[in-house]
Amino acid sequence: MELFLQQTVNAVALGGTYALLALGLAIVFSVMGMINFAHGELMTISGYTLMYCGIAGVPFVISVPLAILAAILAAVLMERIAFRPVRNASGATMLVTSFAVATILQILFQNLIATRSKPVALPEGLAQSVAFGDFLIGVNKLAAIGATIVMLIFLNWFLKRTSVGIAMRAAAEDFPVARLMGVRANAVIAGAFALSGLLAGVASVLWVSQRASVDPLMGFVPVLKAFIASILGGLGSLTGAVAGGFLLGFIEIYSTAFLPESLQEFKEPIGLAVVVLVLLWRPNGLIPSANFGTEKV
Amino acid sequence: MKKFLTPLILGTALALPAFGAASAADDTLTIGVATAQTGSLAPFDGPVIEGFKIAVDEINEAGGIDGKIKIETIDKDVRSDAAQTSIATQELVDAGVDVLVLPCDADPAFAAASISGAAQIPAFSTCASSPTLPVMGGDYMFANFPGDNVQATVSAKWAFDQGHRSAYLLYSPDTQYTTLPLYFGDVFEALGGKILGKATYKLDQQDFSAEVTKIKALDPQPDVIMTSAYEPNFPAFIKQLRAAGVRSQVIGSDGIDSPTTFSLGEAAEGVVFSTAGHPTAGSPLEKFNKLYEEKMGKKSETVFNAIGYDLVKVIAAAVKEAGTTDSVALRDAIANLENVQGATSLITYKGTMGMPVREVSLVRVKDGKRELVGQPSPDADLIPAPRMQ
Repeated sequence: MELFLQQTVNAVALGGTYALLALGLAIVFSVMGMINFAHGELMTISGYTLMYCGIAGVPFVISVPLAILAAILAAVLMERIAFRPVRNASGATMLVTSFAVATILQILFQNLIATRSKPVALPEGLAQSVAFGDFLIGVNKLAAIGATIVMLIFLNWFLKRTSVGIAMRAAAEDFPVARLMGVRANAVIAGAFALSGLLAGVASVLWVSQRASVDPLMGFVPVLKAFIASILGGLGSLTGAVAGGFLLGFIEIYSTAFLPESLQEFKEPIGLAVVVLVLLWRPNGLIPSANFGTEKV
Repeated sequence: MKKFLTPLILGTALALPAFGAASAADDTLTIGVATAQTGSLAPFDGPVIEGFKIAVDEINEAGGIDGKIKIETIDKDVRSDAAQTSIATQELVDAGVDVLVLPCDADPAFAAASISGAAQIPAFSTCASSPTLPVMGGDYMFANFPGDNVQATVSAKWAFDQGHRSAYLLYSPDTQYTTLPLYFGDVFEALGGKILGKATYKLDQQDFSAEVTKIKALDPQPDVIMTSAYEPNFPAFIKQLRAAGVRSQVIGSDGIDSPTTFSLGEAAEGVVFSTAGHPTAGSPLEKFNKLYEEKMGKKSETVFNAIGYDLVKVIAAAVKEAGTTDSVALRDAIANLENVQGATSLITYKGTMGMPVREVSLVRVKDGKRELVGQPSPDADLIPAPRMQ
């Protein structure tokens, strides 16, 4: 029982990180109808910011907000430079553009920073754990769970209470009508990218604090997980993205934890088979967006 | 008839320049270097090629191999990708190189082995350590690193001699190298130790909480946890393992001989790993590290620099022995090399299938620095046979 609880905590922490990643993809998708595959590179940018801050001797409490800020700035710039010119193009064009942005950034990291992974200085505290009775939870895990909760509350508040947030939700529901009501497309889309940058930045700090190094190609795996999670949850739906992220985390941890040793080598295919089963049962994802396929800007 | 002749003439015309290049003048040795300067293998191939270039420059400045044969290289980046490795190898073979240098991992090297073998050009993997490499790669495939089975024998024997009697293995079936813990398990059991369990991981995996929780739940705790995981798996694993309060001795292998391992702080303290050399006072490796610092303006942070230097020394020794740059003669010369002095160790190919006999060093991470545990010679009877997959 205790083992089960401990594994559940692990699943919640991993699922939370996946949820943040999937949310970043879903927010952009909901207003633009585009999966931004360069989302992972936003994380890499945050990671490098953390690394350089570490080298410069900046305290961790300051380098974390700086790293998150770097991801937000990069996301806004990405939209302004790469995605605004193709905003009215077909979905395929936008998808390919996002791949191009990702590849260009990876090559820039390789040529300008290093091809090899670079260590990131992290405070010792992050590698410790807190005891709750017999229960040991890593500070890292607590941080992941805490950050997920804070971000979900913040997003909920932002989308429901602020005018930009309400405009974003309106745009996600029906962009042409929202524009008729005086919502500015540029502001909404830039806002969506800024939010996705924020989510990427937070997820990156959690991700990097786990791996302790950054390399130019590190963005690929997280964006892949986020993609699976957002498909699983229902493309374009924010609640769906969170549900998908957690479900993916649970599938991964439980399959490692409870499959017999002889099946361990196949845990990845078994996990993905579960994803396929879920999609067979609910082809549009767990909690599909009501306006999937509606007209975007 | 005409229909038949045209392709024949065309084919001959196309083949001619290739022949011309292949039988290049005997005063230059052309080495085709198809290594991973980007991607997941770059942390290894990058440093290897730095050391490689230092040795090439050193030899050329001294007038060439044996004072007359200069070394030329043609470099290609294969991006850690097996398909790209075979494309680059084909291009280099077409360019008429005499010797090939292939990426660090056995899998991309396999992808190229059939091409280099068919062209009868000897090929070295920069630092692949899987003993299956030359067995499956054929007569023209050579390795340049102590084999996984030899490394595992050394570390298992050390662990057993320390009084450790139970072990837990963390491995990944994704590549040959990451299955090294299975060799460790074989030797450890042969010595009388007990394997408490095994866990697998994916190469891109970063969350080890489920594996760590399983290890934590073992009663009694294993004396030793053995893994050949490397970046980014290893830092993530060791940090999560120590955060969960597991204090077992962790044993790794050469993949973690990198600056990241020594920057992990408390989490990596006490980790012991097998690698290809250690700069003891007065050793050739210490001398090489000085040379490296002189040439590169920075300290050598990993043994893989010296491995690249060794590789050129081996090739040069073979050219000297063969007295020619002819590929087939070179292959035979390499296979008969004995006690070539490299930067890390004496290197012998004679009597092996292509997996060199070299010294293995056991290194401990202490205060964020490397500390030599020992350089024991493995007991030949204990070394497990290459594991074919």
